[in-house]
Amino acid sequence: MRTGISELAIRLRNREISAVELTKAYIDAIEKLNPTLNAYVHLTFDTALKAAEKADQMLKEDDAPLLCGIPMALKDNICTDGLTTTCCSKILKGFKPYHDATVWEKLKAHGAVLLGKTNMDEFAMGSTSETSCYGAPLNPRNTNYVTGGSSGGSAAAVCANLAVYSLGSDTGGSIRQPASFCGVVGLKPTYGAVSRYGLIAYGSSLDQIGPLTNSVKDAAIVFDAIKGGDKRDQTSVDYDYGSSLAECLDRDVKGMRIGVAEEFFNGINPEIKSKIEEAIKLFEINGAVIENIRLPALKLALPVYYIIACAEASSNLGRYDGIRYGYRTSFYTSIEDMIVKTRSEGFGDEVKRRIMLGTYVLSSGYYDAYYKKACLIREEINREFDAVFEKCDVLVAPTAPNTAFPLNYKGASPVEMYLSDICTVPVNIAGVPAISVPCGEDARGLPIGMQIIGRRFDEATVLQVAHFYEQIAGKVIGAYEGGAGI
Amino acid sequence: MTISKTEIEKLAKLAKLSFSEEELERFTAEFDEIIAFADTINQSIEGGTEQIRNVGARMVSFDDLRTDEVVPSLPNEKILSNVEGYNGFFSVERSKK
Amino acid sequence: MNYEIVCGIETHIELATKTKIFCGCTTEFGGEPNTHCCPVCTGQPGSLPILNQKVVEYAIKAGLALNCKINTKSHMDRKNYVYPDLPKAYQISQYDEPLCEKGYIELDSGKRIGITRIHIEEDAGKLIHENGYTYIDYNRSGVPLIEIVSEPDISSAEEAKEYAEKLQLIMRYIGISDCKMQEGSMRCDVNLSLRKPGDPRFGVRTEIKNINSLSFIQKAVMAEAERQADILDAGGTIVQQTMRYDEGTNSTTPMRDKENSDDYRYFPDPDILRFSIDDEKVEEIRTSLPELPFDKLKRYVNVLGLPEATAKQISRYRKVAEFFEGALAEGASVKNTANLIVGTIFSNMDTEEEKELFAVRISAAQFAALVKLADEKKINIGFAQSTLQKMLESGKPVEEFIKPEDLVGISNEELESLCKEAVDANPKAVADVRSGKDKAINMLFGYIMKKTGGKADIRKAEVLLRKLIGQ
Repeated sequence: MRTGISELAIRLRNREISAVELTKAYIDAIEKLNPTLNAYVHLTFDTALKAAEKADQMLKEDDAPLLCGIPMALKDNICTDGLTTTCCSKILKGFKPYHDATVWEKLKAHGAVLLGKTNMDEFAMGSTSETSCYGAPLNPRNTNYVTGGSSGGSAAAVCANLAVYSLGSDTGGSIRQPASFCGVVGLKPTYGAVSRYGLIAYGSSLDQIGPLTNSVKDAAIVFDAIKGGDKRDQTSVDYDYGSSLAECLDRDVKGMRIGVAEEFFNGINPEIKSKIEEAIKLFEINGAVIENIRLPALKLALPVYYIIACAEASSNLGRYDGIRYGYRTSFYTSIEDMIVKTRSEGFGDEVKRRIMLGTYVLSSGYYDAYYKKACLIREEINREFDAVFEKCDVLVAPTAPNTAFPLNYKGASPVEMYLSDICTVPVNIAGVPAISVPCGEDARGLPIGMQIIGRRFDEATVLQVAHFYEQIAGKVIGAYEGGAGI
Repeated sequence: MTISKTEIEKLAKLAKLSFSEEELERFTAEFDEIIAFADTINQSIEGGTEQIRNVGARMVSFDDLRTDEVVPSLPNEKILSNVEGYNGFFSVERSKK
Repeated sequence: MNYEIVCGIETHIELATKTKIFCGCTTEFGGEPNTHCCPVCTGQPGSLPILNQKVVEYAIKAGLALNCKINTKSHMDRKNYVYPDLPKAYQISQYDEPLCEKGYIELDSGKRIGITRIHIEEDAGKLIHENGYTYIDYNRSGVPLIEIVSEPDISSAEEAKEYAEKLQLIMRYIGISDCKMQEGSMRCDVNLSLRKPGDPRFGVRTEIKNINSLSFIQKAVMAEAERQADILDAGGTIVQQTMRYDEGTNSTTPMRDKENSDDYRYFPDPDILRFSIDDEKVEEIRTSLPELPFDKLKRYVNVLGLPEATAKQISRYRKVAEFFEGALAEGASVKNTANLIVGTIFSNMDTEEEKELFAVRISAAQFAALVKLADEKKINIGFAQSTLQKMLESGKPVEEFIKPEDLVGISNEELESLCKEAVDANPKAVADVRSGKDKAINMLFGYIMKKTGGKADIRKAEVLLRKLIGQ
């Protein structure tokens, strides 16, 4: 197992290694591997070294935060003041925000060292990170396969040890699914637990920022640092988690009620299904009570998700008009023409498809049948989740119905690709927290992820169950050899 | 439910997008599949007629709203830092050949 | 052919809050371009709106002053359309849950014009088209607005003007906006259709956009009604379209149609939580409302006994009314107080705006001190007027201008001898009075006032003079 954040923090404090040395080791690894893996799309080595120097100063104090001096990465849709942020879209070419996302502001205060911005599906729309205008990142475990998406670069960077941890965003599975494909841990917090300020919006009522890490404990440490209410994001909640979640991970599952809903297992690859069932057995052996429950409305979660996410996206992405930032077309006959050409040249196909769907479901005559109906079903799904969590402490499910797709896989239509989000989207619709942890490999050696889903703002239990599994299951996937070697 | 090319064109106009003839053909076909997928929500649960509201049932009270206190604005150079401005304005040439 | 006008007015009013509706930037008018801006009001990716409490409070004030029902639960919607002055490509507004509904404004005739709804929304930026370029300034982007929508209850150009005038007056009175039509802080869109008298059906309507003065509202309604009547008389049909009123030619012409502009794809803004206002809060806002101008007018006439014209002039401006009532509270008399305000103070204020601002350099108490001297006949009205003028110019209290000896007045003996002097010095005027030209007596008054510096009691002098002249 790779060195975790707390061990690194001790080594930094013991002067076994300085933050600058640590950062340089990661820079070297990125320079060596990134040309192949394409995990990072913007590198910020100069600012990283300056931040590392500052961190070394901070580390002289006794009360330096745990994340001080730890090199990390941010998904390219999280705004960084003065540093290029493009959502991997041509339309935001060269965009340098003049505001920091709240999560980045918080991590900076902790002495974090930003190595760069990671690759992603354009505007976080996709399940493979192949819609990036910079080309797809490759799965470090097997470069013939995709990383998953949309936070593919963030997952690849952590997997290949090109960052100790990274932040991603999850609208319909965009943290958990690439975490599963790359064999790392990915936490999607409760909607509202982490401020969205500075996260470039895709589906505002679903988007949530969270960590991708090598262990559950690291995920807890990073979540501890980024969570909390924000007066700049009205949908954020200043929930009282009591204490540091990273310090309360040790809890066994004896007597815990773990729910299993068959709806999550329909159409799942049998290899994945059997690995999840093994994990469930393991929980049962250790004293957990397995509850078989039903979530009938789940079959509607996918269309509901695509309708709501695309409706919000069609509105959120209206602002990319070439006037205030980003790409502007070269030749045009009027301002209207400039806007249309800029958008048509600046957005990729998948983004256009979703803008069109979103425009359609909101347009007059279709609003009631699609958008409004989807919102009503969303409430129904919420009620079902609420009822389930009366009986269960957590739910266990696969993270994805399949392992990583081969690169450039042309066999699936857009809708078939949408269907692969079946296990993750219900969690975003309900706004509940969920984590993906590695739970095995398929026959090709590609990692499989297990999802643990909890009650709103009960990240504590989700992390505890995941941590328990991680400890008890031991080595479930092969280690990645390479990267920074730390 | 199928969608005509004219309808796609109307939507594109609303979304400020344009498609070439070939793109339009492809898009129309894809869109049929996407709409059929979205339509599955109408084949099941009959929704009520209540008005839909914001995310979840969460509400805030009047007292939770922002108080009316001025926060300094950003300097003009920052506001215009991502474009070529003109005398402090954002500027767009009305046509370019 | 005679037609009946069916007209409704949509009014946009900029609220006088300190900050914008969704960010802390100032709403101050003017300023160098793009200097009252931040990531939120320029639509930067990743920025999020935070609703200003004051905007909600002001909208409720407007609602209560217009007799509306206040919705204690409300939310914001997105109205989607792309235009360079709208940085997010959607305007945050309210669609199906406006803050206020179902109110009215009462016209002088007693007729009520219904208010359908009042909602809050954000203003757009400003575009300047010059030298083949469009320049954009987002200083106004995000300035809070309320939109007040009337029922189609207005049936004449005069009513349209009176409605807008009354609306402006009330909004100024409750202090939520300066409602300056020229500067754009109040803008009216007029919807108008014609129908044959007695016909229950509505005709096809047109909308005249952005009228920027009260008198233009009246003229625009007349011009558009005539245009529609001419078309109908000629057997034509009205096309539903957006019109512009041209004050130069006093006519309405169609505006270039914005394509597809009417499918705004409204939906609840997911960034802003639905909000509630409890009944106590509404009551608290209700009690904070000042007495409204029409209630004041009624009270001034019925209770205080002021002539209607004077009462109207005073009640029209909130600050004037407060000054007036402040002086009364100090014990000054209704009549002298009112007359001195309308006669003397207003003579220094040429424009509506000056009266609206009512920037006087003396307090109501200082003013009352002067009025009371006149009330007690220690000085006469003319002297009070000239002293008031000096007080207004200098900002100094009455004691600076009227010394105790001035208040003693003129003794009867002195006045008698002065009257004799006046008669002797003005034989022509005396002869004129005797021959029936009574106005000539003013010459004698003038002589006495001049000699006494305005201190003489003119009524006493008149009795003495007439005795001397032999009338």
